[in-house]
Order: sequence, then C-alpha cells, then structure tokens
Amino acid sequence: MLAQIKYAVKYALGRDHAGRNFTVYPDDTFLVSYPKSGNTWVRFLLANLLFPDEEVGFANINRLLPAPGVSSKRYLKKLPRPRILKSHEPFDVRFKKVIYLVRDPRDVVVSEYHFNLKKRYIDSTVSLEQFVSKFVSGETAGYGSWWEHAAGWIAARNGNPRFLLVRYEDLITDSIAETGRIAEFLNLPAGAERLRIAVERSSADRMRKLEKQQADSWTGTRNTRQDIPFVRTAKSGGWKEALPLQSAEEIEIAWAPLLNFLGYELLTRQADNIVMPAWIRNS
Amino acid sequence: MKKYLIAGFRKALGLHRPGRSMVIREDDIFLVSFPKSGNTWTRFLLANLLHPEQIATFANIHLLIPDPTGTSKRDLDGMAAPRIIKSHECFDPRYGRVIYIVRDPRDVAVSQYHYHRKLMKIDDDSPIETFVTRFLAGKTCPHGSWGQNIVTWLSTSEGSPNFLLLRYEDMLADTVRELTKIAAFAGIAATPQQIAQAVERSSAARMRKLEETQTDQCDLTKGSRKDLSFVRSAGAGGWRSELPASMVESIEAAWGPLMQHLGYELSSHLPSKARNYESLGILSAR
Repeated sequence: MLAQIKYAVKYALGRDHAGRNFTVYPDDTFLVSYPKSGNTWVRFLLANLLFPDEEVGFANINRLLPAPGVSSKRYLKKLPRPRILKSHEPFDVRFKKVIYLVRDPRDVVVSEYHFNLKKRYIDSTVSLEQFVSKFVSGETAGYGSWWEHAAGWIAARNGNPRFLLVRYEDLITDSIAETGRIAEFLNLPAGAERLRIAVERSSADRMRKLEKQQADSWTGTRNTRQDIPFVRTAKSGGWKEALPLQSAEEIEIAWAPLLNFLGYELLTRQADNIVMPAWIRNS
Repeated sequence: MKKYLIAGFRKALGLHRPGRSMVIREDDIFLVSFPKSGNTWTRFLLANLLHPEQIATFANIHLLIPDPTGTSKRDLDGMAAPRIIKSHECFDPRYGRVIYIVRDPRDVAVSQYHYHRKLMKIDDDSPIETFVTRFLAGKTCPHGSWGQNIVTWLSTSEGSPNFLLLRYEDMLADTVRELTKIAAFAGIAATPQQIAQAVERSSAARMRKLEETQTDQCDLTKGSRKDLSFVRSAGAGGWRSELPASMVESIEAAWGPLMQHLGYELSSHLPSKARNYESLGILSAR
C-alpha cells in the first residue's frame, strides 16, 4: 500500500516517467529511429546547433534534447515550445512532425550486439549469429523489428512534408549537408559556420572523450560495462567484416525490398530479382 | 491537485483504464480495426462464442472482450488467458496475434458521420462533405486516417501467420464461414452448432434490441442521442445512396490503390494521386 501511495503522489506531482503516456503537442518535432541508428549523435548535432553556448555532453543531453522515455511528465510539460524530442517508438500516429533516422540493419545489429553486451543484457555466450536471428524476429530491442519500425513509419508517412527521412550513412558521408537539411526542416537558422561548429562539437572523437568523463552521469551508460564503449566505430559498413556471411544473408532474405528501397546494397542477392512493394516504389 | 491525487490513487489501485499503457501478455489476441468497421459486432460474435453461458450485451461486453480504454486495469489483469482484446490502434509491435478487420472506407465515412451525430460531436445540419474532408485528413478520430491505420498494419504484418486480415463485407456475406476462420485463428475449439448460435445471438436485430435498453450502460453510447442508434444499417454499400458523388471521388482519389488491393471496386476512374499499394502483399513474402 505504501508503494501505491508513493506512486499516487508521484503521479499527482507529474514526477513519474512519461514513457508513452505524455501529452503530445501539435507543434512537437520528434527525432525517431530504431535503436543504434545514430540517434544520440543527431541529438548532439541538434543540441549543439540549438545551444551554441552550452557545452553539450552526455551529462546534459537528456535535458537539452529530452527523451520521454527518461524524462518526467512535469519536465516535458515545462519545456519551451516547439519541443524537439527523441524517441525510439514504432509508428505513433500522435507524432505529426518527424525526422526519421534510418541505418543499414546489418550495421545496426552489430552495434546492438555490442550495446547489449555493454548493458549486460547478454553475455559473451550469446554468439553474434544467434543474436542476428533474434534481431530479425524483433526480439532484441523492445520496439518491434527493424522492418516493422522502418516499414510502419515509411509506409504511413514518406512523402508527407512533415516527415524527413535521413540515412545515417549520408550523415556520415556528408555531415554538414545532412545536418543542414535537418536544420532546414526544423526552420533553424544555420549558416555554414554554425553547422561546421555543431558537426565538430559532435564528432565521434569528441563524443568518445566526453563519454570517458561522463559515463556515470547519463542514463544510457550508467552502470554498464566500462570496457565496452557506447560510442564505438561510428562508421558505416562495418558489418562487412563483423558479420558472418550467413547472418548477412539472413537479414537480406528477410528484408530485401526495404534494404533496396533505402539504397543499401545487397551482398547475397540480385537487386533486380526483388519485387518491390508498390508503396515503396512510389513513395 | 485534488483531481490529480484522485487520478493517482485510482491508478495505484488499478481502477483506471490503462489505454496504451496496458500490460500486454504474450498470448493476448487483439481484435483491431479502424473505428466503425464492425469491431463491436465481432466482439459480440467472439463473446457469444467464448461464453455461451452468458449472452453478450452492451452492459457486459467490456468484461468479455475487453477494451483497454473502456475496461479497468484491475479487470484486465484478472482475465484468464488467452485474452481477446479490442483495439483501434495503428500498428503496435507488442500485439503478438492480430485479427484485423477492414471495411470499405466509403461506408466507414457514412457510418462515422452518423455516429458523430449520435454523440453530438456534429450537428444534424453539418454537411457530410465537411465531415468527409476531415475524415480524409484523419481528423475525425485519434487513430490516424483510414488509409494510414491500415497501411501501418499491412506494411508490417500482412502475410504473417499471426495476422488474420478480414473484410467486414465478407463477414456480412457469410458470417458462419468468417467466424469459423476467426475461431481457428484464435485457437477456439467450436462446433458448427456453437458457431451458429454465436452468429444468431449477435444478429443486428438482437443487438438493436439490446441497445434500446442499454444505451447508457456502455461507453460507446453513454450520454448520446437516443433517437439515433449505434447499430445502424449493419450493411454494405450504403454509401451508394448516402455519399455525394464528389465525396466518393475524393475518397477514391486518396486511397484508390489501397482500396483495390483490399478488393473494393472503384466507381470513379480518376487518376489517383495516391501512392500505389497494389502489391503490398509482397511484403509478406519475407
């Protein structure tokens, strides 16, 4: 009963975690992605653009670019509008303006494998091959499978002027141009110099350094294995070395049409043999 | 503050309706559709099939086939597995097994228009054109537009053995056959006699009769106009006489290919501006 009273008071004061049950405003923008797809990096990029006078780091990123999953309802309510919020949610009809960040699932799975080791969700008795099979059936992240996530958002929204599709790979290749595209979508004033500074302040090297100092001050890294970094390779295409061929094939067989649509080259299948679903072709 | 404290205590005691924060079990089965697509009828069919000892009514349906927005957390938690749960949500990866019902959007628009009159959300003199414009933009309910709701489910789930796609029109044409399909999918052992009895107990005529005395005992109709009924035509194709031609055209222009994918014939031959959903089914080949 004491627990219930505590909860009731917390709820009444708005101090309970918002999770999925927070008020969405029509002018909110959501930075959405499947986990391990560069979301934290883009949070840094945006925070550095929005708050040039702050020293953006892991210790304050939850405050500067909040995530309903870890912030309280009360904090979210107090934020100045329009808000920019981070999310890993699969399609949510309440999110009207969305930056959707997508990454090659063959890289996502390698990243998620290491992250799960870091978080001690799995230990090293789980092989990468075993992990890939679970990843394909959507059992590893708590947000559905990569396909369900990407297909749901893209099928419902791509082509809508309030939906911006961004590939992690393009962000790696041309960080400044892609950050500029995001800034434009958000109507942020961002000249070349400001973009350059934001990209520089959010570089993998800098983020690694900050992680070393602040791992204990951030929800993503607190109480995790310190021998595995959160900011790992920060590259694209690492799967070609890291992933056994049969695991890459498992992913390509499962998700070929969407990989193809997103421009992710297939290693084990001929792209011309893939029948593309028409909603993808015309989106 | 007092209001919040009360809400907080209700929550702590499980008296609130959990909605999206409902705790989902692995063996739950979800009965999902866009609103006004035959969901309540199917709830009655299933309730009458599962509980022959207790005739389903508008007063008890939320305890037989629960609705997370209409059933308390405590009642939901107390239900025996496997639960069959009603929902209008867009795709949700937590739903393990899904029965998804679609209905011709031209009929859905007409049905929702009358339902909103019944709920006094719109006036009688409010033209249906205004309503359909909002309907197309997904502004008549919190579950997306008709096309959006459906495409989130089809793009992610069509063809999966855990996803049963049904058309309201097929259910009307051969209720016994379609309910038999549902029972097989849900793992309900049912004899033809039991199926026939459930169909009979859930007929539109019987549901209309129940509605007459139970309007205020059901969330779907509480406090609404008594001169309009919740169970209305319970038919297909009513749009042909009720929907102005220009509105038919607008709906078909918005969702033509998706409608065709679902087997709904188009009456206009306008070039569709919509994306082509024809071979959505291919997604399921994965």
